[in-house]
Amino acid sequence: MRRLVASLFVVAVLGLVGLAAGNIKAGFIYVGPIGDYGWTFAHDQARQIVDEEFDWLETVYVESVPEGQAGTFIDQLVAQGCNVIFTTSFGFMDETIEAAARYPNVIFAHCSGFKRAPNSATYMADFYQVYYLNGLMAGALTKSGKIGYVGAFPIPELKRHINAFTIGVRTVNPNAEVHVRWIYEWFNPAAAKEAAEALIAEGCDVFAFTEDSPTVVQVAAEHGLPSFGHYSPMYDFAPEYVVSGQIVHWEAIYRDFLMKVHDGIYNPTNLQHVDYWWLLSQGAVEVGAKPGMVINPAFEDDLKAVVVNDPMLGEISVYDLVMTRLHQMGDPGVTYDPFQGPIYDRQGKLRVPEGCWLSADSLVTMEWAVEGVVGPWPGEPTE
Amino acid sequence: MKRVGPFVLERRLAPSRAAVIGVSVLAVLAALLVMAIIFWGYGVSPWHAYATIAKSTLGSRYGLMEILRRTIPLLLCGVGLVIAFRSQFWNIGAEGQLLAGAVAATGVALYSGIPAPWLLPTMFVVGFLAGAVWGIIPAFLKVKLRVNDVITTLMMNYIMIYIVEWLIHGPWKGPTMRGFAYTDTFPKAAWLPTLPLSRVHWPTLVIGLVAAVLAAFILARTRLGYEIRVVGESPDAARYAGINFLRVSLWVMILSGGLAGLAGVGEVGGIHHKLLSPVQVSVGYGYTAIIVAWLARGSPIAAIMTAALFGLIFAAGDVIKVALRMPFQVTGVFNGLILFFLIGVELLMYWRVRLAPKGERWTGKAGSSES
Amino acid sequence: MDWQSWLIGIVGRALAFGTPLLWGTLGEIYAERAGVVNLGVEGMMILGAFSAFAVAQSTGHPGLGIMVAAVVGGVAALIHAFLTVTLRANQYVSGLALTMFGLGLAGLLGRGWEGIPLRQPLPDVTIPGLAKIPLLGPMLFEGQSILTYAGLILAVVLWIILYRTRWGISIRSVGESPATADALGVNVFLIRYLCVMFGGVLAGVAGGFLSVDYRPSWTEGMTAGMGWIVIALTIFAAWDPLQAIGGALLFGALYHLSYRLQAWLPPELLKLMPYAFAILVLAIAGLGGAGRRRGAPGALGVPYARGEK
Repeated sequence: MRRLVASLFVVAVLGLVGLAAGNIKAGFIYVGPIGDYGWTFAHDQARQIVDEEFDWLETVYVESVPEGQAGTFIDQLVAQGCNVIFTTSFGFMDETIEAAARYPNVIFAHCSGFKRAPNSATYMADFYQVYYLNGLMAGALTKSGKIGYVGAFPIPELKRHINAFTIGVRTVNPNAEVHVRWIYEWFNPAAAKEAAEALIAEGCDVFAFTEDSPTVVQVAAEHGLPSFGHYSPMYDFAPEYVVSGQIVHWEAIYRDFLMKVHDGIYNPTNLQHVDYWWLLSQGAVEVGAKPGMVINPAFEDDLKAVVVNDPMLGEISVYDLVMTRLHQMGDPGVTYDPFQGPIYDRQGKLRVPEGCWLSADSLVTMEWAVEGVVGPWPGEPTE
Repeated sequence: MKRVGPFVLERRLAPSRAAVIGVSVLAVLAALLVMAIIFWGYGVSPWHAYATIAKSTLGSRYGLMEILRRTIPLLLCGVGLVIAFRSQFWNIGAEGQLLAGAVAATGVALYSGIPAPWLLPTMFVVGFLAGAVWGIIPAFLKVKLRVNDVITTLMMNYIMIYIVEWLIHGPWKGPTMRGFAYTDTFPKAAWLPTLPLSRVHWPTLVIGLVAAVLAAFILARTRLGYEIRVVGESPDAARYAGINFLRVSLWVMILSGGLAGLAGVGEVGGIHHKLLSPVQVSVGYGYTAIIVAWLARGSPIAAIMTAALFGLIFAAGDVIKVALRMPFQVTGVFNGLILFFLIGVELLMYWRVRLAPKGERWTGKAGSSES
Repeated sequence: MDWQSWLIGIVGRALAFGTPLLWGTLGEIYAERAGVVNLGVEGMMILGAFSAFAVAQSTGHPGLGIMVAAVVGGVAALIHAFLTVTLRANQYVSGLALTMFGLGLAGLLGRGWEGIPLRQPLPDVTIPGLAKIPLLGPMLFEGQSILTYAGLILAVVLWIILYRTRWGISIRSVGESPATADALGVNVFLIRYLCVMFGGVLAGVAGGFLSVDYRPSWTEGMTAGMGWIVIALTIFAAWDPLQAIGGALLFGALYHLSYRLQAWLPPELLKLMPYAFAILVLAIAGLGGAGRRRGAPGALGVPYARGEK
């Protein structure tokens, strides 16, 4: 017991000395393998970027951590001298908060959750605006009027994304439908493949998805159908068929957070209200088939050929509409939001009144399905 | 009998205790040796690897607690499997029985409304029963319909996995979990107490130790234990003695499945405090327990030691991941290797080497070496 | 949607998903027909999947990848054969060890190969004349993998070998009563070795199909329990290569339908069917008084030692 106290003391002292000297050792706890080509891969790319940028920063990571064991690995990382720890899965939320209480001198940041503590912040880079932009393009490209969406879990994050995507689709093509299938796993290429095949069999001819592999892109390309990449740049998997997609830049958040820790702006007592909810305008997410390519040139002509009538912008091609909206949401003063009322859910209930935007809180707890979504929707509000 | 130069290999009917222990230790050492080569091939000095593992597991209170935490489910499942294997019932289904216990405990914790002091005991009782029910189905099928026990227990693991998946995606999905696939968190009254600064839910550990002692007593001193041993060692004799196979098999699987069910109660009540994806509830404890039981060679008391050994291996897997930067799959390779060597050297236990001058008359029956 | 395109879609997908199941099951049938249960299918498949991907990616030849996967599967099965046939170790435990070992080793070696799209997957094939047949053509002969056709042909060939040739009689007699077979001059050990290794070869191909054809990429744990479906399917098919075709199609269809029917049925229900079917089939056979006779080899799971009773 004496040795335990002594070693805890040493750890605490080292931690404080480290912070005082401005040197940061940041530990990352990942839920999947770093090679998953999705969520964990993206976090690890960002870790490497910030690790190279700052010479006062050292990073370590643990991958494929099962839930219920994040606490174990946090203990080990703290014992190794980490003074900042990022936990990158919703399922690590309670264990992160418990660990934050255990190590009051260590700074924690939990990704995608909603519980905070004086030394534990939350952060999220969200795609809903990007999905809306992708939806505009999908609406212009579908011939059958049916668009397929392969989803991982029916959670508010995905529901928000599918809704934003559908709003985009219907802006261009008011009668189009977005057909949804769930695979109940973040990563399962075989399931993603069968779900995509099932949607193709139902007549869907454009695809978007949430799953940590390029499977849906590959399946769609095999059938000669366009799709939107998810999470990482997927252009290279099917250069002729990837229209655009969602790309994340976690490094934007990690850079900002770590610099503020380094400069003493963040310390283990003032994080109770630090919640990053970063979107296009903060550079945490990007729309594109690959970085810098908003729209695959192969689809430019198709998108320029479809013209819609916007109440504000008048007659405008989908291509120009995408670019306009991108500026409106990407520039520092955001002047447009996909969830701009009036918006009805698919049961006819008014969800966003005329002229209003949704609050961040309504966005992160969204359970309803917008008009145009077809398919199972577990947890759909019945009232 | 085989002749190798001046030596003669003789077969013996029952291996001596020393031979059993010696051969088992030999198997573990052989697996460690092959692992050393794998470490080396991966660019990690085996010496450094083993030293780091020893220091971070056995060398600190924290490490010891992590070992204990992993030992709990392995011990409960392992003792149950020892009982089953003693009667030649091939229960490969501890994983599913563990999950059945976890499901039952979750149901009690979240939906029963039982008041605080009775909540945890009820979770254990119902968890035991659920594991037992999941266990006696294969027992019934085996005795009554002669359906292979390995296959049924194995298949029922997967059926239970999908039942858990369905529960957390469907009817039991927690309203406070923002749509994620978990049940709600248990009320605090359903949390098992833990040793300070650790995740060792000690009530389950105590139950495991008591179960091991009780199982040893049952096997050695009771009529049921006698019948279990006879059924396992000589089914013909058991039939001749009029032993009721159905009764014995049902009891065996009530105990075996029930103990695994208790392990499931411990995992959700002591670690997770909710029901979640089956691969997270149990990280293969039910399968690893097969090695635990195999290595214990029919002794529930020995299972305490072997469970602790595999608790150590699980904890070592965590260390390997963090300190040595090697993927966690190392643990799987190691478990596979130990098992290979264990069963590979099994025959050795039944042979004795003896120096024998040439010209001595053959005493054994014709064996394959002479034909 | 009309019923024809429904049927075409479902049978087509059932064939695609059923292909690795069929290959794996045909192999397991031969091993078990010779009296050796191999629960290491999952381990052999994953080793095959990884080696096929690694070879196909580095050489650019997916066919070569499949061949290497076959060899790797065979070698993995050799461990099982050595332990269970020569050392007479417990077959169930040995198979479980092989699965643990295979999953671990493939995961260990596969680091650094994850997340890469295969540069040259195995091409799909449409059989020119037959694809024109109404209904049956698009269902069976359009855009399937070459391994799908090969698996179907192999099933027929293996059935003929098993039931219509001297080899088949030898294999079945070894699995039924090794002592009798031995007395009749059949080399029990050789046949068991060969059948177990053949099982490994086919399991390796099944794994290779997943990584260079079905979804051309490698991920740790990508077999995702398929090896256990193979074990279930072997029973379901009553150890008969032709029935394995039907079983693989049925189980493949169930998997695909769990996505097609998602709006009406919980997908978990359809996914647990294969396992439930295996138990049900055995139980029904038992009810009918057939006991384990429903195609199950008499000496299944029993090690054979010469000169012992």
